[in-house]
Amino acid sequence: MTTVPQNRFRRSPLGSDAVFRRLVDSVEDYAIFMLDPRGYVATWNRGAERIKGYSAEEIIGQHFSRFYSQRDQEAGRPEAVLRAAAEEGHYQEEGWRIRKDGSRFWASVVVTAVRDDDGALIGFGKITRDLTERRQAEQRYRLLIERVTDYAIFSLDARGNIASWNSGAERIKGYSAEEIIGRHFSSFYTPEDRAAGLPQKVLATARANGHYEGEGWRVRKDGSRFWASIVVTAIFDEEGQLTGFSKVTRDITERKQLLDEIRRHAQELELQVREREATNADLESFSYSVSHDLRAPLRAIEGFATALREDYAAILDETANDYLDRIGSAAVRMNRLVHDLLHYSRLSRLDLALEPTSVHAAVESALAQLTNIEGIDIRVPGELSVMAHPPTLAQALSNLIGNALKFHVAGRQSHVVVAARPLEGKVRVEVSDDGIGIDPVYHERIFQVFERLHAADSYAGTGIGLAIVKRAIERMGGKVGLDSSPGQGSTFWFELPKV
Amino acid sequence: MLPIPTGVILLVEDNTDDADLILRAFERAGVANAIHRVEDGHQAMAYLAGEGKYAERLMYPLPAVILLDLNMPRINGFQFLVWLRTQSEIRRIPVVVLTESKDSASVNRAYDAGANSYLVKPATSEEINRVVEDVERYWVGMNERPRLILKGKAGD
Repeated sequence: MTTVPQNRFRRSPLGSDAVFRRLVDSVEDYAIFMLDPRGYVATWNRGAERIKGYSAEEIIGQHFSRFYSQRDQEAGRPEAVLRAAAEEGHYQEEGWRIRKDGSRFWASVVVTAVRDDDGALIGFGKITRDLTERRQAEQRYRLLIERVTDYAIFSLDARGNIASWNSGAERIKGYSAEEIIGRHFSSFYTPEDRAAGLPQKVLATARANGHYEGEGWRVRKDGSRFWASIVVTAIFDEEGQLTGFSKVTRDITERKQLLDEIRRHAQELELQVREREATNADLESFSYSVSHDLRAPLRAIEGFATALREDYAAILDETANDYLDRIGSAAVRMNRLVHDLLHYSRLSRLDLALEPTSVHAAVESALAQLTNIEGIDIRVPGELSVMAHPPTLAQALSNLIGNALKFHVAGRQSHVVVAARPLEGKVRVEVSDDGIGIDPVYHERIFQVFERLHAADSYAGTGIGLAIVKRAIERMGGKVGLDSSPGQGSTFWFELPKV
Repeated sequence: MLPIPTGVILLVEDNTDDADLILRAFERAGVANAIHRVEDGHQAMAYLAGEGKYAERLMYPLPAVILLDLNMPRINGFQFLVWLRTQSEIRRIPVVVLTESKDSASVNRAYDAGANSYLVKPATSEEINRVVEDVERYWVGMNERPRLILKGKAGD
């Protein structure tokens, strides 16, 4: 207790001893009382009565050792406390004390020696606080932490030495509390991390930012490693001085392994995709150059067969001329094939610039590409437009209409209807015929390259037309489909984004 | 300054089959004008520059039009075009590309290099005949020929 300079309050009524005594008497949260030099209670305040249960009448003149447990009394604790206070002038401790009713409370005690002007001991001032509730809360908290097994929860002093240890820490790291308390926490780090100064960096970061969070390999007592997720929190006292750190560590090795595995799979997948893309690009450029290089010899075959027939018809017989015709028409057929393949391959290589395209205009230009366009009924509203690459759209339509005309029932010309209508933000274009129809089992396959359902003799064609349609529509962001069954005719449809 | 004196066509084509079929088509079209064939860009440069045997201009006159394949060994069609357009005396000779590819990249590159026209080799002899007739009628018959610049004199 600070001594108040006497002259300051002398003239004020507040400075009188009587007023001060009343203040002390009325304090309820602290037991404040005086002992004589031998330890007998000399004064008693309201707080003392409240905390210890004795009234002033009961306790004044009694020895203060009765506040101690039997064991403390036998061990000479009360005398030791007075001796220490007398020698040091001041003594402070926490411990169990006994109330009048025999119950215990956790007391924080300050004992001060009181001396007269000549330095002779005239007694002791004692201030006691009941900290039972706080003590119990701490106790509960400690027990709680100690029982946690999924997390290693422990504390470090300000320099990083381990100060407490829970069962989770024992389970995860393998050390018992006795083995590890007092040792530096860098024991848990790998030699590499220690060499790199990571433990110091962790504490410095926690000190600077209040906490540190991280993941990394840590070492168990048996030398094995585990992948740890850690949180380090700096603990400061009321004055802002660092008193230590709390550290929570989780073993997430399994999760890490799973994540690593997922990551590895993802990488493998990405690699495969990239390889496949490269392969596809190779195939495209391969088919493109093959198609290109095939055309020159084909031109020669057809050209020289024609030259032979024209220049030497007179000396060749009918069979020879027939053979030459066949060579010529085979070359023409193959040329068409190469042309279509080239077209198909180009469709995947080129970037198609999409623009608002009138469906009606596209149908018109598709019809212009066909030689025989009888029996076609166009039901396309003039105002319908789609996002498309105009020549590609016209090509797709031309292929579909050409197909519809081609696969007619023997001896009867097909009636073909080209219709278009808006449908949920798209335009659906349908090319329907009353031709031979297609069995549903073939509906998927017919959009693939070289898929033919009929011998080339009965229906001429390269087998690439529908593959071109599918790829063309899909490259323009649409889809294609087919409704058909044998004898019922066919309706090929595609949908493109409406403008 | 002299107009190109003759209606000669210079065919630059490395593929002998194609060359022969084109030459035959010109013959069958009854084209009186001489058509000369060289096998690649290198020979075409020699022909136009009048090097070696090509110095004899009566035998190898400067052409009214050049039919140029693009895909050729050694000096290809693009390189030949670039060279031709930097030659002070003969840079104005019209060039009609006659080639395999109708890749837009090739088409643009050829025009950028100075081609006057771009044709794709037709697939059948029937079409070859038509192309040959059209080329002859348009580029030799109708097209107004530029004047060549003689050495040491300014052009117009």
